Amino acid sequence: MGASCFFEWKKLRSGDNIVRRCYEHVNIGDALGPLRKGPLTSAHLLRWSAAMENWHKIHYDRRFAVEHDKLPGILVNGTLKQQFIMQLLREWAAHDGWVWKVGFQFRAMNLEGETLSMWGRVTRKRKANRYGLVDLELGIMNDEKKESTPGTAVIALPYEKGEPVPYPFVPPEGE
Amino acid sequence: MGLLTSEIKNLIGAESGIEVACEPVERGAVRRYVQACMDDDPIFHSQEVTHRLRYEAPVAPPLFPMNMFRRPFGTPDPFAEHAHNPDFDGIVGSTAQGLPPLPLPKGIGLLNAGTEVEVLRYARHGEVVTAKSRYHSITEKESSKGPMLLVVIETEYRTDGGELLLRVEKTQIRR
Repeated sequence: MGASCFFEWKKLRSGDNIVRRCYEHVNIGDALGPLRKGPLTSAHLLRWSAAMENWHKIHYDRRFAVEHDKLPGILVNGTLKQQFIMQLLREWAAHDGWVWKVGFQFRAMNLEGETLSMWGRVTRKRKANRYGLVDLELGIMNDEKKESTPGTAVIALPYEKGEPVPYPFVPPEGE
Repeated sequence: MGLLTSEIKNLIGAESGIEVACEPVERGAVRRYVQACMDDDPIFHSQEVTHRLRYEAPVAPPLFPMNMFRRPFGTPDPFAEHAHNPDFDGIVGSTAQGLPPLPLPKGIGLLNAGTEVEVLRYARHGEVVTAKSRYHSITEKESSKGPMLLVVIETEYRTDGGELLLRVEKTQIRR
């Protein structure tokens, strides 16, 4: 597996020329995304609930959500928002890197009809033996600039002249 | 009246047995999942692409194992039991696989407050996944809507061969 493989994979998806993202080429303050999804309709939310076999009515039964649970509408599933964040991080890390740790807090609701923008920003870099570690802050913003899902992540990236990050991932000692 | 009864306090630290997902990682389930979260990465379906990368075979999205613990064949339909209950919120089964449900008063809802995930590798199509969970902490807080419980559940997801896929800490709000 090497850079050319990834180049080929990336061509399959989007024509992007990024081969691999190396630790040395990342700077504190670098932005990820945004990855945009939406507007998220009731069909999107029902499709996700069905794929998950999660039948919690607040995600697809408007009457129950509003009249029974006193919510302002049907809610975008937290698990769906997690997937969106993972996609943003995974695509940024590329196939020689690894999304090791991710944390999300569901601080605010997102409702049917919203378009979500997943974003990230590099906050810290540190070296481990076989790869570099990049800390990020992240979140999900709707079009009214309301942040709903603040979080953090740690991504392992290969060194420019190093091997890909090991897979399965081997955490650095002491973390 | 508080929600954190001695009966609930006694469940802190309680562990599940090792639960086995009722199906292995199915290609069709992965298709529905990635279509529902709108992530068309070919590593989720292409033998050709994954063979050239480090995954060896098509894989499921990183968080997919968290959603594999579903109602097996031959078990009672939980909807039948609630067919005439207007307060039924659609949540069925334990909210953490294998853990005893918290003995809470009727009408107490559940919100997903956040998740911390550590990813070690992806599950391949066809692999069997297991999970073992534990009530890590249960604390009570006051909210504007009255008392609520913050319930932190730790789960490790592994292949049936014992390889660690994910470690997850989920925080649930019960109020």
